[in-house]
Amino acid sequence: MKHYDCKYYLSSDVFKGICKIDKKNINADDSSCDRLEKAQKCKHCSNFALTGNNLGTCMNKYDAFPEMDAITCNDYN
Amino acid sequence: MTENKDFLKCPTDIYNYYGTTPVEKFESRTPKKTATPRVEKARQMYFESKSSASVEFPYWYTRKWEGLDGEIGIIRRAESLKCGFEHLTPAIFPGELLAMRKANYLRGSYPMPWLSEAFFLAKEDELFKEAAKSGKHSADEATTIGQGGGNVTKSAGNVVSIAGKFGLRKEEMPILLKIAKKWFNKSVDDVGHKYEQLVPDYQTKEEIMRAVICMFDSGYTLPQGREVMNYYYPLQFGIEGIKQICQEKIGKTAGYPDMDRLYFYKAVYTMLEGLQTWILNYAKEAKFMASLETDKTQKEEYLDIAQRLEWLSKNKPRTFHDALQLVWIFHVAVLNEDAISGLSPGRLGQVLYPFWKQDMEKGILNTEKSMELLECMRMKFTELDCFASMGVVGGVLSGNTFNNLCIGGLDIDGNSAANDLEVLILESAMTCDTPQPTLSLLYDEKLPEDFLLKGVECTKIGTGYPAWINNRVGMEFLLNNFRKEGMELKEARAWSLGGCLETSPGSWMPLEINNETYFIPGGSSPATSVGVHFISLPKVLEAVLYDGLDKRTGRRVYPAHGSKLDSYEEVWKIFKKYFSITVEVLTLTNNIQHDLWGKISPSIINSMLKPDCLEVGKDISNKGCRYNRTFNVEICGGVNLVNSLASIKKNIFDEKKFTLSDLKAAIDANFGYLSALKTKSYSLIEQVKTDKFMNWLKIHRLCLDAPKYGNDDKYVDNIFKQWQHWFSEMCEQYVSLYDEPLYSCQISVSTHAPMGAVTLASADGRLCGTTFADGSVSAYPGTDKNGPYALFNSATCYDHALSQNSQLNMKIHPSVVQGRKGSRKFAEMIKAYLRKGAFHAQFNVVDSRMLRDAQQHPENYRGLMVRVAGFTQYWVELGKQIQDEVIARTEYEQIG
Repeated sequence: MKHYDCKYYLSSDVFKGICKIDKKNINADDSSCDRLEKAQKCKHCSNFALTGNNLGTCMNKYDAFPEMDAITCNDYN
Repeated sequence: MTENKDFLKCPTDIYNYYGTTPVEKFESRTPKKTATPRVEKARQMYFESKSSASVEFPYWYTRKWEGLDGEIGIIRRAESLKCGFEHLTPAIFPGELLAMRKANYLRGSYPMPWLSEAFFLAKEDELFKEAAKSGKHSADEATTIGQGGGNVTKSAGNVVSIAGKFGLRKEEMPILLKIAKKWFNKSVDDVGHKYEQLVPDYQTKEEIMRAVICMFDSGYTLPQGREVMNYYYPLQFGIEGIKQICQEKIGKTAGYPDMDRLYFYKAVYTMLEGLQTWILNYAKEAKFMASLETDKTQKEEYLDIAQRLEWLSKNKPRTFHDALQLVWIFHVAVLNEDAISGLSPGRLGQVLYPFWKQDMEKGILNTEKSMELLECMRMKFTELDCFASMGVVGGVLSGNTFNNLCIGGLDIDGNSAANDLEVLILESAMTCDTPQPTLSLLYDEKLPEDFLLKGVECTKIGTGYPAWINNRVGMEFLLNNFRKEGMELKEARAWSLGGCLETSPGSWMPLEINNETYFIPGGSSPATSVGVHFISLPKVLEAVLYDGLDKRTGRRVYPAHGSKLDSYEEVWKIFKKYFSITVEVLTLTNNIQHDLWGKISPSIINSMLKPDCLEVGKDISNKGCRYNRTFNVEICGGVNLVNSLASIKKNIFDEKKFTLSDLKAAIDANFGYLSALKTKSYSLIEQVKTDKFMNWLKIHRLCLDAPKYGNDDKYVDNIFKQWQHWFSEMCEQYVSLYDEPLYSCQISVSTHAPMGAVTLASADGRLCGTTFADGSVSAYPGTDKNGPYALFNSATCYDHALSQNSQLNMKIHPSVVQGRKGSRKFAEMIKAYLRKGAFHAQFNVVDSRMLRDAQQHPENYRGLMVRVAGFTQYWVELGKQIQDEVIARTEYEQIG
């Protein structure tokens, strides 16, 4: 897992961000630390099904992609 | 031709100076002030952040849109926008006092495929190939973009570069392509393209775009902007209050004739619900951040943000801090509903003054805290990015977003409107010298002297702002153009600048706070600069010389005129003919695009904010605004056109020094120089000669020595005057989508770079591929040799109120304006120019040698800002074309 996958990762840009806990600068694609908690993303949702390279479906109905943030999604499960 | 040794002389200095050439080490600007520690930290974070795009908003927008097939257009649009807002991931960074942003990155933005989808598709994609065949993509190819700063110029690792500026996570590319394809043949761009082909002379338009005689279509690239925000309704009523107005209006319009009003009110109501969820999502995130925080002060600040956002999601502001936060929310909300550049906060210091004054009197706010908030505001505006194609974001905007904040001017009663909050706005623009918001000072004789000197102090440190604007000329233009729609003198005083320099109508709205009524100014028109954008005047003249052809590509643009061009009058006549053909066809095609924009992608939030849309129940595209005469014709390269005409007139017809055939042969040979496109040096200095150089030296010298605009020389100034009068009059012959005549607009922004890149050498001695003169009344670099007052006389040889603007850039060496004496001298010079009836002047106070050093060592100059043409930008984020042009501008070592 990468920092990018963590609930405490705050993106400042597409390359990097900061840790919400200790406020250190971190790279999105570097390996995460022990504090990792899975970010709420489509790929962790039961409504999501992977169908191809970085593509999938949501509730078998909508196009979707695995890395999408789902923190604001009411259907996240 | 006889040989003359003088012709062999070439300039050895690579800079253009007026006055004594500086010899010592280059001089830095007046020492700068520093921002508060909080904001300095934020600025460093900004410097380290890249422009980043995300797919979140377009994903949810499109998903909702697809599910609402058959719904009424504006309701479908509102529901889709609402869905987009509701799903934006909130991002709050430590130290922020003002929350909320466009997307989930510091410099976040996103594509809007419902406007245009082709340019960001992968180049190997079939849709892209199809789109690339059309003429409109030629501008992208002629553009260079800044290679430093926050631009993601190349794809790397898990990041894909789009338009040479925006980074997108590679994982998001497949879904972006999928979404983009859903908009194929449905976007404003595609549908517009389908219908614009019904214009009888459509093929000419294609060729005009391919030749880059016109830079871009405004209908699907930047359909809004170049206008002034109006924050009155949220400040006066709060979001719940506006919803209540909508509910009442819905009750009064449901079932009655003119039912579009009902759908508009329903759309506004829906949108506001979406904004409320968006705000509350941020409040929730602030609480989450607080829950993780161990630092007591930071924790309290997060909780304060949460509490403030919860309040503002429903209610009107209680304090200055509330009001500033709410202004920011609505500013971002409008930016998120459309691709927009030039959404100006307008006279924000006067809008917020009642809140500030009240808090200061109550003792709940002090100067120090005010400064910190204003600096935070500057960072928020500076973080804004506009997602657009390379031709637009690089070639036109230079990555800028043009949020122009105006200070000064007059109040509703005709007294000075300058206030103490505006002084702090100026001060914060010095302590936190960032490109946004740029400042413009609406100069009026009624403004206090110390206010003007504060403005001078700011300009002197090299920020490039405030730009100096003639308040009375702006009002005169507005009264001339909007009287028919009911504008009176009082209302003309409410004006402000939209975008870099677009004079925009405003109105006074009655803000009530604690039983006191304050009339606050705000914009009351749609975008004031859409329509025909931008026409390259030297390129049109080139077509005249080459019988209607684009010599660079060999393609025919205009019908062959077949004339021998045996008199100056004949050249001028055919120029007017070709220019008129251009304006006519572009007016018609742009009218179609804007009509479709209003049908496919109407503005809802911005419409709600603009008087009198909410009153009459009509959105912007249905003339809901108070003032609607807002389409224009923008031009670029006017000074090069006029200098070229003067050279042709003098050398070929008056003095018969050479023939037109000689001139064309010299132009074909680029006067014996390599093209700038080969040398990658885009100004007239530092060009490389070929071994044929001597063959063309005499003609080139004569072209360079012909009368040049900017020297108080009536020979060329009369041509300039003739052009100006004809141009402003001819615009009135064309009718906008809103059934109003067009007006003239004269700003170059950055277009003088890519447009110069595709233009052959010209009769004024300019070389192939080099930039044109910037602005509209700036002299061509190095040709203004008689000092500033001669330049002012040339610039004011016509009535500036005929046009939406004029634009003068001057570069001044820092030593000239040092100290209090220097400030006084500077102020007197500015006043002298404006008192002659000029509309605008802006200044780079900088040593050209420092710019050269910055070009060679960009790593040492991350924070260096320069004034380009109506905007200030970080040096490292400018393309080389513009950098070269700014270096080449005449540097004034004397202004007395």
